[in-house]
Amino acid sequence: MLKIKKLSAKIGDKQIFKNVNIELSGGECLLITGQNGAGKSTLLHAIMGRSDINTTGTISLSKKALHKMECHERAREGVFLAHQTPPTIDGVNTMTLLNEINKVHNMPYTRGELISQASDKFLHMQLPDDWKKRQFNNGASGGERKKNELVQADLFKKKTKLLLLDEPDSGLEQSSRQKIVELIEATCLSGGSVLLVTHDKELQAKYSDNKLDLSDVK
Amino acid sequence: MSNNVRVYSNFENVDFWCSPSSVDTVEDFTFIFIQTEGKCTANINVNPNANSKSKVHVYIYAEGGAEVDCVCTLNVDKQNSGVNTDIQFRSWPFDRSKIKARPEMFIANSDIIATHGNALGGLRPEEEYYLSSRGIDNYKEAIKQSLLSYA
Repeated sequence: MLKIKKLSAKIGDKQIFKNVNIELSGGECLLITGQNGAGKSTLLHAIMGRSDINTTGTISLSKKALHKMECHERAREGVFLAHQTPPTIDGVNTMTLLNEINKVHNMPYTRGELISQASDKFLHMQLPDDWKKRQFNNGASGGERKKNELVQADLFKKKTKLLLLDEPDSGLEQSSRQKIVELIEATCLSGGSVLLVTHDKELQAKYSDNKLDLSDVK
Repeated sequence: MSNNVRVYSNFENVDFWCSPSSVDTVEDFTFIFIQTEGKCTANINVNPNANSKSKVHVYIYAEGGAEVDCVCTLNVDKQNSGVNTDIQFRSWPFDRSKIKARPEMFIANSDIIATHGNALGGLRPEEEYYLSSRGIDNYKEAIKQSLLSYA
């Protein structure tokens, strides 16, 4: 499903990683490890298509050439990145953002269903009652921002062919870690693939059967 | 977001007075201007009571060459000690629209805290990337719909 061949990435003049090769079938999770600076997060952003990362090599998802697409086109093809440090977005409230994401995925939910599902999931993640009306991540702690990412990933998992999790555990309390496992398993069960970057020992141990150490690649 | 939200879409003139009075919690006032044509002149006057805590948010969206000229004035009299007020503007001028966003403060008391901020322009790169990573390339529409949803 996901095929990455000889992927190299530079930011400015700095080479971040070279010649990364990945083949990952639907339903599989690959743990990405490596020392600080090895390029774990950059790999996820390169797959997502961040514009300041210059890449060579190819990335294909379900035989479609992702490396030729803009970032928003990759997202529409089913790439979902749960960001490590999600920003606040002035003027855009959470529910409107979810609504816009729903639109670009051709409305998997009616408006009523989306509101109801989002409310349940925010509650499940112990986010405040008024969360969906708030401006996106405004006044949110690091942990709340991470929960917001997980809720979005969960809401749109049926549209996700490739889930990129960039340290989803950092800032989260231990009890929320199980929700990351549930999300990975639900995504894999729906036929999606997962790339996981984490420093959490338990998560690393759980997914260590299939891993790529970027320090070795470098 | 508090209930003190007012949305003005394609108004010509807006004059508004508010008198924050909440002592225990911060009282929020939100003013949203969505201008898609013509010119809007807005005057927001904030006259806080003694010891009150408040935040005033002013969001201005303009497209299609529209113009918005907005002044938010904080007036603190001599007798109103202990006031704590913050005024924040955020403006998005699209399609060569013009936005003037001006916080003004007239303060006759030294025992107060008054702050203001003003951000004008499009999305920050990290905001743009985040929206792109969610498949959204029409940022203008996302912001407009979000501001309209307050109405």
